[in-house]
Amino acid sequence: MNMVTTNLPAAPPPRARSLLVATGFGVTGVLMYFGGLFGIYLRERSLVRSDGGTWIPEKAHIELTPPGMIIWTLLISVVVMQWSVYSIKRDDRQHALLAVGTTLLMGAMVLVQHGWQLSQMNLVADEGPTTAATLIYAIVGSYMAALVIGMIFIALMGFRALAGQYSSRQTDGIVAASLYWYSLVFIYFIIWIAVFIAK
Amino acid sequence: METESNTAELASSPLEIGGLAGVFGTSDHKNLGRLYIYFGLTGGILAFVLNMLVRFERLDISTIGVFDFGSSNQFFQTWSLSRTSLLFFCVLPLLVGLATYLVPLQLGAPSLSFPRAASLAFWAWLIGILIHVVTVFADGGLGVPEPVSQFAQGMDPEATELSMLSIAMVVIALLLATICVIATIISQRPKGMTLFEVPLFSWSMLVAGGIWVLALPVWLSNLVISWVDFQGNDALRYGNVENIWDQLSWLWSQPMIFAFAIPLLGIAGDILPVSAGVPQRRYRLQQVAIGALGVLSFGAFAQPFFNPDVADQAVFVTMGLLVVVPIFIVMGGLADTAKQGKPIISAHLILAVVGVLSLFIASVLSIFHVSGAALGAVQEIDDDWLNGLISWLRDVQGTVIATAVMEHVLVAAVIGSVAGLYYWAPKIFGCRLNRKVGILAALAFLGGLMLSGGSNAINGILDEGDEVFRSSAYDGVWETDGVEFLNILGVVGSMLLLAGAALVLLDIVVSVLLDKGDVTDANDPWGGHTLEWATDSPPPAGNFLIPPVVDSERPLLSQVVMGGEEA
Repeated sequence: MNMVTTNLPAAPPPRARSLLVATGFGVTGVLMYFGGLFGIYLRERSLVRSDGGTWIPEKAHIELTPPGMIIWTLLISVVVMQWSVYSIKRDDRQHALLAVGTTLLMGAMVLVQHGWQLSQMNLVADEGPTTAATLIYAIVGSYMAALVIGMIFIALMGFRALAGQYSSRQTDGIVAASLYWYSLVFIYFIIWIAVFIAK
Repeated sequence: METESNTAELASSPLEIGGLAGVFGTSDHKNLGRLYIYFGLTGGILAFVLNMLVRFERLDISTIGVFDFGSSNQFFQTWSLSRTSLLFFCVLPLLVGLATYLVPLQLGAPSLSFPRAASLAFWAWLIGILIHVVTVFADGGLGVPEPVSQFAQGMDPEATELSMLSIAMVVIALLLATICVIATIISQRPKGMTLFEVPLFSWSMLVAGGIWVLALPVWLSNLVISWVDFQGNDALRYGNVENIWDQLSWLWSQPMIFAFAIPLLGIAGDILPVSAGVPQRRYRLQQVAIGALGVLSFGAFAQPFFNPDVADQAVFVTMGLLVVVPIFIVMGGLADTAKQGKPIISAHLILAVVGVLSLFIASVLSIFHVSGAALGAVQEIDDDWLNGLISWLRDVQGTVIATAVMEHVLVAAVIGSVAGLYYWAPKIFGCRLNRKVGILAALAFLGGLMLSGGSNAINGILDEGDEVFRSSAYDGVWETDGVEFLNILGVVGSMLLLAGAALVLLDIVVSVLLDKGDVTDANDPWGGHTLEWATDSPPPAGNFLIPPVVDSERPLLSQVVMGGEEA
């Protein structure tokens, strides 16, 4: 049977980049949310310090090892997530999925480290609730929720890639998931600096 | 040029799922849009009833007894619910509902982006707002103004917590719905339609949606901090019941409040040129003005709880002074357009004009509100009477003039939404709404706003405090006959506002649900300029079988090329 490729219909145009656009707006919203939290945190800390008060309760233990581990884990996850984007753009689905799975694993590690850190901080156990404790719990808790949403997003896009929805012609899902993930890493970088380093 | 589409005969027969499965399982943007509109109007009735109860109570708050609220806290719950329900149960769902229905049609798109996310957003919003209303009536709500102790006077901590969580759910749902709409505008425009050719309603939704996406998450962060602190009975500051509302109130204050009326300008910009039968004059300038209003209404920074001096700060004052400019430019453009043609008087035209005028009055009140700080900033002033004037103008800031601004803006948004409903009713419901009822509703809204909003503005000048749930708001004005008389007028105004909303709901019930509406020439009864009028009413599944190609912002008035051929 002779197949004349020139008689085949033209490939349909790539779909509109709705997911990427919507993720951009979603990321903007998440950044504004954390911007609101950081704004209040920094202002309240500044007020307490200017009155000569102590911001972090004296018996609280905020060590830098867990946040340091978290930031390094997240920074490595950026490289791994970008690996999945690189792979899907080259139709290398196997490595794309491997990278997606590894990123999810790193996300789970970050969650575990957060949980462990919260259990060790002793923010309210001895001195009762403080303004600092409230704001740190609000920020870190929100971050953990945003991280879980990001992991669900990445997993969903990974399953779609597994089903063949994403390839070199259509990379939106993986790129959108990576965009959200990078924004989370950026947000944690601010938490790391503002809450833990400059405590 | 024909505006009827050939989609009906070409469209493959859609899979129709009726009954409850069709309602609960729908992800069609048209069904979701209608559901938002029905529930949004119902929420409007609730909001205006609560507003009326508040106005009755303000007749004689010293006795706490016109309606026997039982305590100042119950009065506060009613007062705060009237605000939250007007914004989250009426204005936003009406605007999002109109956009959910119309944006894909105006862009010639087959569907909204992420229809399942839009469906999820609708149900999350509905469930969230119903839970919120129920919890407020169950002694919850967003705090209390003057607690004897943390949960004195019948406040229920679990109901309060559920109120906070449910309103968070509402905001997240509305953000998701907004992102679906604005992602559609960005990514689903047809060939030939740049952002400068987007119809004004879609453009205004893009601007408004962008501001909502920037500001509502900040409000959500305030709410989350309050909620975290609220855990347990020993809240320190943010979760203390007397502070919760203070952290959230900036959403109902200027400049942020103006962000919720931006789509009104787009609705008026779509209605008036069609009524006049001529293209919109200075289209780009209109777009720029709507964008400028978006910039000037971003108010997430203006949080008095964390920044008590914000009302005197330059950015806040400048935004308050300039907000009138874009509204004035849009009004000028509309007037210029009307002058070029012969506007046909219709219910939607009258409603649109009333809505824009109300917004303009709100912007003038906004100037008055910040003028004390603005004049005070001029250091050269050294004149006794002028200093007295500045001092008096500064005092105006804590009065019910702030309520007047909020009321004018939100009611203007409601009127604009109703104008849109009357204009697009043939497209949405397949029939026109009753013209006379629409005009009557417009008059009721106009009269109601003049009496209710106007009385608040003048009572502000007479020093009635903005926090009307506190007896201190009336210190020094109890014996003023003018305040009492104006509050009586306010009651009448609130009843007229309720009557306006009830008339619209009644008209929809009779015309749409009871099939009494006029179906004559429903596809394009007004000679529309934009793509939604190029398809059937209501549109078939997929809206347009052949993607339209456009080359101007008024494709049906100039030329529209459907699938490569002149239609």
